[in-house]
Amino acid sequence: MPRHIKIGLVVLVIGFGVSFGFFVDVVGRVRSMVNQRETEENPFTPPAQPLYEPTDPPLSVKIFFPAASGDALLTTEEQTIFKSTDVANRAKQILQKLLEGPHSGKLYPSLPDATKLQDLFVSEHEIAFIDFSSTISVNHQGGVLNEMATIYSIVDSLTYNLPEIKQVKILIGGTEKETLAGHCLLLLPFEMDLTMTDVMPPEEGTAALSAQPSTKP
Amino acid sequence: MVLLMAALGAALFIFGGASRAADGNFPIYFEASKLVVKAETLNRTVYLPVREIIEFMGLPYTDSLALETLTIRSGNSRLVVTKNSGLISLNDQIIFLPSPILRQNDRWLAPLDFLTQGLTRMTGTAFRYRSGTSRIFAGAVQAPELVMIAQSLGPITRLTIRCAVAVEVKLQRDDQNSRAILALDHAPLDPLRERLDHKDRLVRSISFDDADGSPKIVIDHTNQVADIRLSSTDGNRIFFVDLLRKGETIPEAPAPAETPTTSSKVDSTQTARKVRVIVIDPGHGGMDTGAKNAMVLEKDLTLSLARKLRSALQIRLGATVLLTRDSDVAMDNEARSAVANNNQANLFVSLHAGYSANKFDSSSSVYVMKENFGEGFAPATVSPDRLFLPWYLGYRLHRPAGARAAKILQDGLSKSISGSHFAIRTAPLAVLSSASMPSLLLEVGNLNNSENAATLIDFEFQNRLVGAIADAIRIFSETEQASTN
Repeated sequence: MPRHIKIGLVVLVIGFGVSFGFFVDVVGRVRSMVNQRETEENPFTPPAQPLYEPTDPPLSVKIFFPAASGDALLTTEEQTIFKSTDVANRAKQILQKLLEGPHSGKLYPSLPDATKLQDLFVSEHEIAFIDFSSTISVNHQGGVLNEMATIYSIVDSLTYNLPEIKQVKILIGGTEKETLAGHCLLLLPFEMDLTMTDVMPPEEGTAALSAQPSTKP
Repeated sequence: MVLLMAALGAALFIFGGASRAADGNFPIYFEASKLVVKAETLNRTVYLPVREIIEFMGLPYTDSLALETLTIRSGNSRLVVTKNSGLISLNDQIIFLPSPILRQNDRWLAPLDFLTQGLTRMTGTAFRYRSGTSRIFAGAVQAPELVMIAQSLGPITRLTIRCAVAVEVKLQRDDQNSRAILALDHAPLDPLRERLDHKDRLVRSISFDDADGSPKIVIDHTNQVADIRLSSTDGNRIFFVDLLRKGETIPEAPAPAETPTTSSKVDSTQTARKVRVIVIDPGHGGMDTGAKNAMVLEKDLTLSLARKLRSALQIRLGATVLLTRDSDVAMDNEARSAVANNNQANLFVSLHAGYSANKFDSSSSVYVMKENFGEGFAPATVSPDRLFLPWYLGYRLHRPAGARAAKILQDGLSKSISGSHFAIRTAPLAVLSSASMPSLLLEVGNLNNSENAATLIDFEFQNRLVGAIADAIRIFSETEQASTN
């Protein structure tokens, strides 16, 4: 066999081997990506970090829930969280309390069944971005006032207790939705609104409060 | 596949509707005469006999059996149609018809398009046909519009007939068949709707029928009807047909004379009114059922209330009233406010039913847009009167008028619906945010309270509620007019 053909065959074999290896590697990568794909049912979960350290001091907070009686739509229940250094962790603890529901029989839960908090972060502009599972929308019973109760129990619980949060933007299923149950616009962040509650504004509160006595229920 | 089936279903529905509407007699109205022909529905297409029509119009024709063609002449024009072909030739130019011309038992049958496309071009006489109806207008025939509205008013059911010209109406009762026939002496008439979807304890169906060329309205009623009264107003342009239930004493029925006076008053001020176009939005629809109860879905309740409110406003205000949806379809909020914006409505009312976690709550709310909503998010350089605004700020200019309307509605409802609490609230409502006219949202009752839900679906309560809303809108319309004068 002539020498140049031998060299050509060797080069061909090496090239084939390299391309085969590359092909196998690519397939492996695609497979691993497919297996790890994030879905709403199977979200990407980073290693669980504790929301507070054992050394964090307790912090008393007011959680807003729909009232069973009285003129106010929302009223508060005193609960205790831990004062973690990260404001997002404090916000997550407050939302956990909201998801667990009220202890008192005179209050109603404000979030629909099976609602999950998927993620939460606080931006440098003091806006809390909260991502709820789509069950908050699917399992919602409807009604404008009921939807207002759901939204403002979240917004007021966070902005009233955490001065670091001025506005709240609600996302559903990881995306921006027009409304939660067909009525209230979610496209813009919400600010604290205590006109529908029986609570006075916090002393250091800097959130814009529009005093509207005529709209008070 | 699913899409294909849906399209097939829709096509069947449309063609099915058309064929139902056109079965049997089919009048063709010419300027000084009319011809009633027998329509046949073949392959879901309405066919009319060609020779009867062209003989009536006095057009010469040649029917060639051997060539299987029919040649029609008019002046210098020549129209040739061929059996089983959708292609017709007018002066050697080909016109394509969606359905073929047929020849059955020595009769030439042509689809309606043959008249509107073929004969119209050849003779210069325009044939006008509105799909879903069963009549054709030819040439310069004027067909005055006829509007029928039916509503339950407690013990009576009232059919209001409005005609664009003065007509004579004769009432004939056929108690054996539980039927009342109102013969109208003007032909032709062009009804806005052939059949009313009104059904209650007294009325089964109301339909317009001119199959024999003489227009009449047929009311199929139940055997609970004791008396039928006919009265007219506005120079015989508006008629009231009141069906009275058995056992009701006659003086208790609302006197028809009362409505004509208000109606004529309405007509005289109608042109000066501030609120001329009202858009009503029945909340939710389609897949989006809204709040639920074992007895009723919010989407059905709001549609039923909206239809009633439309009738009430048309009668009391003489206003143009449009619904964002008149059937069970889903719509997004932007499309709903677009209906009001595009029709330059003077008032936008969205109807909803409430749901509260509290089973004993039965309160209702009137909502206006949250004050200053979204303004903090507009760029800092925005001046209040700049030309382009973010879509969600459309509500700003008319919010004060919306709040005035809400106050009037709250007062009216609190007076008329005793025992119910109506609060005015503000909310960042998606459906109102981009409506550039006075707008409000009414949320009634609590569907989690079964007693309250039972009240909401009661027709008499609905009529009372709708009457109170219509009155409030009339007062708002008058006060807005006074404030601008």
